[in-house]
Amino acid sequence: MSRTPRSKFCGSPEHAVSRRSFLGAAAGAAALTTADMTVLDSLTQPAMADELKRQGKHVILLWLAGGASQLETWDPKPGRPTGGPYRAIPTSTPGVHISELMPKMAQRLQNTAIIRSLNTGNGSHGDAARIMHLGRRDEASIKYPDLGAVVARELGQADAKSPDYVAFYTATEGRGNAYGQAGFLGARYLPMFLTKGNTPENLSALEGLSDIDHKERAALRELLSSRFVQGRSGESLGSHNEAYARVRGLMSSETLFDVSQESDAMRDKYGRTLFGEQMLIARRLVEAGTPFVKVSRAWWDSHGQNFETHLELVSELDHVMACLLDDLDDRGLLQDTLVVTLSEFGRTPTINGSLGRDHFAKAWSASLSGCGVNGGSVYGETDEDGQTVKDGEIGAGDLFATIYEALGINHRKDYYVGSRPLPLTNPGTAPVKEVLA
Amino acid sequence: MKCSLFLMLAACLFSTANLWITPANADDLLPADTPIASVINHYVNQRMAALRVQPTPPAEDTLLLRRTMLDLVGRPPTLVEAQAYAADENPHKRDELISRLIGSPGFVRHQADEMDQFLMLSSGGTVRTYLVKALEENRPWDQMFRDLLLGETDDVEQKGAIEFVKRRVSDLDKLTTEVSSIFLGVNVSCAQCHNHPFVDDWTQDHFYGMKSFFGRTFDNGGFVGERDYGLVSYKTTEGESREAKLLFITGVELEQPPVKEMSDKDRKAEKELLDKLKKDKEAPPAPEFSLRAKLVETALATGQNELFAKAIVNNLWARFYGRGLVDPVDQMHAENPPSHPELLDWLARDFINNGYNLQRLIDGLVRSEAYARSSRLPEGDYPPATAFAVGSVRPLRPEAYAAVLKMAATSPDFFPAEMSVEDRENRAEGIVSRSRTIARSFEQPAPGFQVSVDEALLMSNGDRIRSELLSTSSEALLGKLNATPDRAEAINLLFWNVCSRPPEAGEVEAIQAFLSSRQDDLPQAYSHVVWALLTSSECRFNY
Repeated sequence: MSRTPRSKFCGSPEHAVSRRSFLGAAAGAAALTTADMTVLDSLTQPAMADELKRQGKHVILLWLAGGASQLETWDPKPGRPTGGPYRAIPTSTPGVHISELMPKMAQRLQNTAIIRSLNTGNGSHGDAARIMHLGRRDEASIKYPDLGAVVARELGQADAKSPDYVAFYTATEGRGNAYGQAGFLGARYLPMFLTKGNTPENLSALEGLSDIDHKERAALRELLSSRFVQGRSGESLGSHNEAYARVRGLMSSETLFDVSQESDAMRDKYGRTLFGEQMLIARRLVEAGTPFVKVSRAWWDSHGQNFETHLELVSELDHVMACLLDDLDDRGLLQDTLVVTLSEFGRTPTINGSLGRDHFAKAWSASLSGCGVNGGSVYGETDEDGQTVKDGEIGAGDLFATIYEALGINHRKDYYVGSRPLPLTNPGTAPVKEVLA
Repeated sequence: MKCSLFLMLAACLFSTANLWITPANADDLLPADTPIASVINHYVNQRMAALRVQPTPPAEDTLLLRRTMLDLVGRPPTLVEAQAYAADENPHKRDELISRLIGSPGFVRHQADEMDQFLMLSSGGTVRTYLVKALEENRPWDQMFRDLLLGETDDVEQKGAIEFVKRRVSDLDKLTTEVSSIFLGVNVSCAQCHNHPFVDDWTQDHFYGMKSFFGRTFDNGGFVGERDYGLVSYKTTEGESREAKLLFITGVELEQPPVKEMSDKDRKAEKELLDKLKKDKEAPPAPEFSLRAKLVETALATGQNELFAKAIVNNLWARFYGRGLVDPVDQMHAENPPSHPELLDWLARDFINNGYNLQRLIDGLVRSEAYARSSRLPEGDYPPATAFAVGSVRPLRPEAYAAVLKMAATSPDFFPAEMSVEDRENRAEGIVSRSRTIARSFEQPAPGFQVSVDEALLMSNGDRIRSELLSTSSEALLGKLNATPDRAEAINLLFWNVCSRPPEAGEVEAIQAFLSSRQDDLPQAYSHVVWALLTSSECRFNY
């Protein structure tokens, strides 16, 4: 890799001459070091996957934290003791019905595949959330990267100006279960994790520091730092200057997080809610090239008052998701953007004494939209009360394999930790072909 | 020893197990009374000769001082310390420095940080309070192993050590894997689901054999307990159900007394007792026959203890030399031989013969020629890392990086030349302890560590970085630079204070040019220069 020394000291007119003299010295000194910048950690420059990257695929994950009910969304059981008060309504796909709480999605099912047969075997929030982030159990000594980190690694550009993995989680409930994990891929693939608002921390320069100052200071840093790197080698050394090299680019992505750049009409369409605005930002990011955005909505854990909770949350989901799919479609992005709805688990068909539904990982649903999935299809089936999977049972690993295949990533691809090969999904998992068009 | 009753070599069953715990013939090793550093020099030189590799020259005095201080006491030298060391013509100054550092309070603080990460990184907990006490008295490593695995909650000496188990007890697979990885250098986790594809040594029998030692350990309201009954069983890849043997990782199988039969009544009584103890916040009673204690005894038994010794020797080697003699450090098995087998054998033997003395081992490791080499290769191809022919470049742990930043940003006047050594150390310890809030912003490095862009963003745009490191008060470096009219002098002082060395000509030229271009606001120009140096790789790494 060769790098052009970035010593563009944009001098103000009054200092033009003296700055030029500094520039000369800086360029001379930096030129010496260029060759040594090749000693970089191989992880920052994945040689493979370049072809995939050109395809420009993206993922927007709608993380329904706490566990959304499949019965009030994708797999209603009207008229059964487990069905609850809501009806099922027909959709744009003849014969397929979803909950009446999702009228907008019902009209737009042509780009969405529903999976009704997840059995993921873990009903505790923390462990289950990790499983549904990693596509497998965390192993004692191996820290696996989560879906976002893998996608960032596979589809991101090493020197991208937009962040390659952004995660929104502004609620506090369940946030600890949903932190990004880059695992053995290294911190380069950690998400920009937004918990306090819609703008990332440390993305704008401090007050009193002009853009020129910021830039010149960074150039001086690079000059001094590359002198140090010259003739030295170390596993982590390259990543340090790489990280700083990305700072200015990422700072320029700050506007992506600014919804006021969108028209009032567009903002009204998504709705001026936190969830709506974050979804709009997700679209802006994807449009600018970000491979993976997670938008979390909490808290779906309706042990009591399940039906009131879902009336509110599903209605919002329906509106925002439909709006996102329309918008992506209008912009020609939907064919390259996979929109996923996922929770840590679903909810029990049996309605408890508080009119709630409890944790249920045995037979629940997820959805995949866009990115060439088999739109309008339904994969898998639960029994008439939704208590068990009757047909097409899959686990978290199979779902992840399906997601990877939809993105054009070989789910059997190995990463190596030392000499140990670690496939993207565990041995024995397979993508659901019926979901992929 | 009591455990010898139960030790039984299951030779027929496990004769194929080929863990290279077999020591080299002791007669082939250098004599036991050779100083550690000489032994390292001998074997490393021998290997370099065989590889036809030329080492880099010794690092400059000032850089070696910084490296040694960061490794032993987790802070860089002050300007006065660095300049005095550079000027000192005493031929034994390095040996004297090492002895002094190992006796200083910073040594315990920093080794406790390092050890706490080594033991607890993956668990989210800490045993630091215990470690400080144990390291203060240089408690032997075998004793620390015992405390960490068996420590009694209410024992003053062992206080807090059992947190090591407690933090992992909810996941016995994790406990099994991490005890094996950390204390025995053997990561058997692959063998949890299937026999290891590459390593004949590791089968499911080994994983579940090791797990058996923990199978009866449980949590009771925040107290670690151990039952007197219960067996670990598992399904083989062929789907067969098996009861695990009490099998130590080297292939040694232990007999255990007949498993106690529990009637429903016994179980009920036990549950009532445990519930009561939980309510009273008391520890469950000790078992008559503790399998965890058996594991400790077996790992430390004569003839079996070499793996235990090699694991810590190799881990400490990796800490000071950038990679293990066996690397990765938790892959000590036949298919992953050490780069210097005799050296590892000798060091392990020496460690056992000298009572598992960590201080002695660390002292020896940092006195070698290989440790003291320059990390810069002026030209030519890099020799293989296994030759240890070039000094290593290692990312600093958060605490040490924060200490570097905070010390560097402090005015040199804060440490006047006439200050006593004791006062200087106390003052430095004060700064280091105040740096711990910044430390929390940084990630703990692990193998393959990469600096995150979040760190670069924080350092570039974080308010705290500006307020804590770029203050212009008289106690801050920037204050001192602003008060130094001569620019050449200011630049000289800047490099000594931040990098513990004089500036190179090219650096002086670049910074002079930068300052000249910023004549109108020199204080701001200096703050940019300080920032640029604090954020350079030189400050981020030990090199």
